[in-house]
Amino acid sequence: MERRTDSPYPKLDRPVLAVVGLLLIASTILFAWSDRRHDWRWYQAEFRKMVAEKYGAEKAKTLPAGTQQIWIKDLGNADRCITCHQGILWKGFEKADHPFRTHPPEPLKAHPVEKYGCTSCHGGQGFSIDLETAHGPVPHWEEPLLGQRLGEDYSLVDDKKALLQMNCNVCHRYDRETKGADFINHAKRLVNAKGCRACHVINGRGGTIGPDLTWEGDKAAEQFDMTRLSGQRTAFAWHVAHLKEPKALAPDTVMPNFNFGTKDAQSLAMLVMSWRHAPVPVEFRPGVARTDPQTADEIAEEQRMKTGPGAWFVKTGCFVCHNISSLGVKSPAQIGPDLSNAVEDVQSRFGRTLDDFLQSPTGTMSVVLSRQIVLTPEEKLVAIQKVREAYAEYQRQRAQAAKAAPVAARAR
Amino acid sequence: MKLLANLRSEKPSAPGVHPKPFWSLRPRSDREAGDAVVSNFLLHWFPAKTYKPSLDWTYSFWLGTASAALFFLLTLSGLPLLLLYIPSVERAYGSVKDIEYVVTFGKWIRAVHRISAHLMVAVVFLHLVRVFLTGAYKNGSGRGQKREWNWVIGVVMLLLTLFLSFTGYLLPWDQLAYWAVTVGTNIASSIPLAGPEIRELLLGGRAIDQSTLLRFYVLHCIFLPAAVGVLFAYHMWRVRKDGGLARADRQALLAEAKETGAVPTKTYTLLGVARGTAPTIRTASLEAPDLTVNAVNDLVRRIAIVVLGTIAIVGMLAVFVPSPLEEPANALVTPNPAKAPWYFLWLQEIVTITTVKIGKFTINGAFLGGVILPGILVTLLTIWPWLDRSAASGAGLWFAGDRKKQNAVFLGICLFILVLTVVGTFMRGPYWHFYWPWQAWPEIPSRI
Repeated sequence: MERRTDSPYPKLDRPVLAVVGLLLIASTILFAWSDRRHDWRWYQAEFRKMVAEKYGAEKAKTLPAGTQQIWIKDLGNADRCITCHQGILWKGFEKADHPFRTHPPEPLKAHPVEKYGCTSCHGGQGFSIDLETAHGPVPHWEEPLLGQRLGEDYSLVDDKKALLQMNCNVCHRYDRETKGADFINHAKRLVNAKGCRACHVINGRGGTIGPDLTWEGDKAAEQFDMTRLSGQRTAFAWHVAHLKEPKALAPDTVMPNFNFGTKDAQSLAMLVMSWRHAPVPVEFRPGVARTDPQTADEIAEEQRMKTGPGAWFVKTGCFVCHNISSLGVKSPAQIGPDLSNAVEDVQSRFGRTLDDFLQSPTGTMSVVLSRQIVLTPEEKLVAIQKVREAYAEYQRQRAQAAKAAPVAARAR
Repeated sequence: MKLLANLRSEKPSAPGVHPKPFWSLRPRSDREAGDAVVSNFLLHWFPAKTYKPSLDWTYSFWLGTASAALFFLLTLSGLPLLLLYIPSVERAYGSVKDIEYVVTFGKWIRAVHRISAHLMVAVVFLHLVRVFLTGAYKNGSGRGQKREWNWVIGVVMLLLTLFLSFTGYLLPWDQLAYWAVTVGTNIASSIPLAGPEIRELLLGGRAIDQSTLLRFYVLHCIFLPAAVGVLFAYHMWRVRKDGGLARADRQALLAEAKETGAVPTKTYTLLGVARGTAPTIRTASLEAPDLTVNAVNDLVRRIAIVVLGTIAIVGMLAVFVPSPLEEPANALVTPNPAKAPWYFLWLQEIVTITTVKIGKFTINGAFLGGVILPGILVTLLTIWPWLDRSAASGAGLWFAGDRKKQNAVFLGICLFILVLTVVGTFMRGPYWHFYWPWQAWPEIPSRI
């Protein structure tokens, strides 16, 4: 056999390899630990205890475990806030500390959590499940939690939690008045009172001396000249300072000083910061007319019919299918026969009297009167009365026409 | 049932057909066993014997092995990311946030991938520096060596590594990614004549958008790793065929031809030699037994130390070094300063320095700093083995005497690149103004 050479290596290399092995074990323990150490585990356990204390162990068992999220596809939001804030929909924790506290129920009535999530109102980073990164401020996440702490940083007047209203106005921007958004409402009144539109385009309308403010909230902080700004260096702080004393930040500006108070300036800053392109689907926005527009003629015609002699037929909904020509009611659809001569028509079609037919209708009318236009016995009497009135008018008009007809024949 | 019976039957149904469903570890004769040994790829991944000096820590610093280990780690950590990341403009950023915040071990996997990528750029570059300084691209004593071509392959792999890293840079679709790619592709568009076309080819359009993301994604996940993998295999094969590390050549030259005891070198069956049952022809060994050790265990053990050590270090770094993710990409807002990836910052620095304003005229440095200079450097690097006229005895020797001048120039260029990289990375603030490390940058404003 071949001669084997003595190797000098194992003596040193084996211990080195062993150390590397230990390092690998350490590295494995480290990364396993780093993934386990999230605080939400503790918060969930704590809330479970609180629920068990208050409502019993059975109730506590219904609490979900692990990371939780509200995924709102239309908004592209995945809000994991409820991983720790498990108490928001539970009654009885109104006085508990965050994150266990019950959410005030009033705003949730119009904005159910499962449809709006959390961050669309509160801001913050819904992706995150850790205290610091979720609430901010963190680098590179430009939407910090619009809560009390930030409001205190800006020394908001009256209401330290008011910054949230900026997000109200992302959807409510075309409202005159939004319930609960006092700062925004105040700012909107100021915009009209001070005539901001004299110089600025706002929502597509206004003068061109100043910059268009329609999407002012989308501007990045880098787009503001902050060289003369003292204190916080943020777009919001810039707006507040600039509204109070425009020339202090932009010496060449022609914007007048309106002598705004601190609350005025803060409200207006919140308003302009809320003017952002937000991809909010139409069903999330209030005040959007969800109907096909009518022409002025159509509106006038409808108004005339509503106030004319045939108003009852319009109000009750008969006119959806039937003309009542004698009373000047014109149906948009004209599916059914004219009701002007229903008294004769019913007799000839069904061989029954009008009264009898309306009391126990057959065919289409039985469906309509049982599902869409449900009338009480008293209302049915009114209906018979109204149809008779229309017939009377029909007969009167026919008689008049007959009188006029020979004249027309002679003329020919 | 018949199929199962067939699978079970020991007898081959036809000549050359393997009778068992799985690979058999039980050869029926010495010849079969010998064939299995000879045709086994893994047993021939390493040489049977290794020159002791080639194993020294301080000769090669095992940088090539470390690069391979990092490439292995990148492939491995890339696989789960492949399933978690969504290559769409709308959802890429969100999917990276998900990986970072809620996917089990996601943050660690992403950090491993990112740190390995940065380290690989650095280690591959250092490997190239080592090979240059030791003249390891030179052919030594062996006949038919083609070390210069392996050097060329190495240069190509360095470029592929840079491009791999750069394509990965875009994928999170954040500001860092978007603007690094903007800077990079704008430099490409300064190439004369075909510049805008090259940019359009890279971007898959005229703006950085979905098609760019898809292009970079496919390059990053399929074509570039495949190219690196194939070239790596060939690189390793050439190292073997060129007689191992260049240092082995040198030792072979220096070693006096010593007569050794007769060893069996020619035989008819492999296992027959091992058992002493086959006729063998005994001659003196050509290898110097005093200078070699068996590859198994000494070489394998050291490779295990380097590979596993790299994995352990990266694994621990990944726990403590967070991976940045900036704001979502926004074409309307340029971050200030907009920086290329760190390994391109020396080029960006040159671009800035050579952009000269004379009165109203601006001479754009993008062409010089972004195209001409790196072009010249890469070309020189590639053809250097043919320009280097130093003696063959310098192969595998740190700072060989007659290579002093070229080593000095090479080190000078490396130092130049290093200094510019450090300046670009740490000392350039907003508007590309110069700041010393102890000078604070102006505070970067935020929205709220």
